[in-house]
Amino acid sequence: MIEVQGLTKRFVQGWGRKARSVQALDGVSWRAADGAITGVLGPNGAGKTTTLRMVAALIEPDAGSVHVDGIDVAREPRRALARMGVLSDARGLYPRLTARENIVYYGRLQGMAPAAAAARADTLARLLDMQALLDRRTDGFSQGERMKTALARALVHDPANIILDEPTNGLDVLATRALRQALRRLRDEAGKCIVFSTHIMQEVERLCDHVVLVSHGRTVAQGRVAELNAAAGQVDFEETFVQLAFTADERLDRSAP
Amino acid sequence: MIADAWTVFRKELVDALRDRRTLVMVLVSAVAMGPVLLLALSALVSGIEKRAEAREVTVLGIEHAPTLHNYLLRQTYTLKPAPADHEQQLRDSRLADPVVVFGADFEAQLARGEQPVVEVVGSSGNQRAQSSMRRIVQLLEGYNREQATLRLAVGGVSPAALTALQVQERDVGNPATRAAQLTAIVPYFVLMAVLYGALNAALDTTAGERERGSLEPLLMNPAARTALVLGKWGAVASVGMLIAILSCLSFLPGQWLLQSETLAALFRFGVPEALSFIALLLPLAGALAALLMAIAIRCRSFKEAQANATGVVLLVSLLPLLSLLNQEGEKAWHLWVPALAQVTLMGRVLRGESISGGDLFLTLALCVAVAALGVAYVARTLRRAAVR
Repeated sequence: MIEVQGLTKRFVQGWGRKARSVQALDGVSWRAADGAITGVLGPNGAGKTTTLRMVAALIEPDAGSVHVDGIDVAREPRRALARMGVLSDARGLYPRLTARENIVYYGRLQGMAPAAAAARADTLARLLDMQALLDRRTDGFSQGERMKTALARALVHDPANIILDEPTNGLDVLATRALRQALRRLRDEAGKCIVFSTHIMQEVERLCDHVVLVSHGRTVAQGRVAELNAAAGQVDFEETFVQLAFTADERLDRSAP
Repeated sequence: MIADAWTVFRKELVDALRDRRTLVMVLVSAVAMGPVLLLALSALVSGIEKRAEAREVTVLGIEHAPTLHNYLLRQTYTLKPAPADHEQQLRDSRLADPVVVFGADFEAQLARGEQPVVEVVGSSGNQRAQSSMRRIVQLLEGYNREQATLRLAVGGVSPAALTALQVQERDVGNPATRAAQLTAIVPYFVLMAVLYGALNAALDTTAGERERGSLEPLLMNPAARTALVLGKWGAVASVGMLIAILSCLSFLPGQWLLQSETLAALFRFGVPEALSFIALLLPLAGALAALLMAIAIRCRSFKEAQANATGVVLLVSLLPLLSLLNQEGEKAWHLWVPALAQVTLMGRVLRGESISGGDLFLTLALCVAVAALGVAYVARTLRRAAVR
């Protein structure tokens, strides 16, 4: 379970008089339960990636807190990281290592024995349907193959909490379907707490048990898709999203021809 | 912590050693270059020696100077006629011997005691011909002395009247010192090898990792940052050390192929020297690895890191020149600058001088300090600005 409470963050770029600051987060709060898929949905630049980076202890928030299974990420980042598998938007692999070596390397860094890490790589390869890739070097992998390898790498230590930052970016329809399938299995068979961010409505409608709408660095709404639709008085989730995530001015600006 | 560092170390080492293309480039450019240069030098020196032993003079117009012809033959010299375009050939370095030119009325002038002019034609841009100039001039002056002695003897004057004093050269340099002039290039080459060996691996594990987008996922592992950095540093330093060892050892078979006996006698680089070199270079490889990583860790791309590392590369390449060009010998502060200190001490090894324990400790301590600072800085950078 992941609990995010009142996160704020201001980034400052440049020095002296040229310094410009951007309020990236301005009070983001949400809760992701075990055995459920939580979608963090928001327009570009809403603060989704920043939030997930804070959950993964890569950025310190100015204020607010993140708890993973009750562990304060700010205070015990390494203990919290051991309970998380994170697929961030940077998902670079080592091109001179095989997919298996990439996965086992992370397993070893998570404190697994070599044999256990190797066995886990095989298990994950079956789950993600990538057995044929395992012993190839990752140099020439397609987007989908890279994503699978990176996901397997993030899940190697069988974490209770899985965090995915825009996992379907660059994937074709079949690969996206396969990923959805895998995530459902992880939720239903292993009871994982899964959080993923996206700006694609269909993803959320098809997959999420719980939706968190983030806009302008704030949580603007959360609940089931049907609940959000009802709250906005809309039938179509896309209309709900536009109504909740953008201000009236923005809606006019953006839809103007 | 140690287990994590070991895991990172093994992975980085495998990764670096699988980068075959880069490794081959380093091996060819840094490791093979020294011995190849040595062989080229030996071919040049043996060529000069061969010409000196050959006792040949290239002459033009010798038919005008029968007396001198006779003298040259008596000195057991063989005469070679000069080609018609010898001046051009000398300028183009196609002719390896200076040409002795006699005027048409040489013999007549000589008979009248008019001091005929003999030209020895060389070209200051032609190294090979230039190296024989002094020998030829001495040969001709031998004729002068012979004639003077004969004329004095005819007049009943002792030849000693012409030479008030006798000049004798005595060289007090020991063979090892003389050899060091020639072998001074060896430290330069092994230093370059260490630098280039560590360079690619250092940039790849830091800036390269960031550029590939694999740094962020790596930092989301619960391993301590210090363990990650130690593992990476260990791997980079190991690659540098491996190249250092290969480079030092490559000079051993190189010298067996030396054609020139003089050069082979002068080039004193045996197994003990190679081992001393390796002992001096291993700590330096560690220091350079940490320094390069510290420079590259903030860079977003491999290219940017390469540009930033140019300063270190230049400095390390130029420092040895300081000791090569510097005629005043080594200064105390040389030992306080890593890289320069190693070159200085390697120079001492080549000259057959002993290295005091204090000097050795100083250079070692400096390398350890640089390595520790570099590793600490990289770890701190990763702890703070993890993402950007």
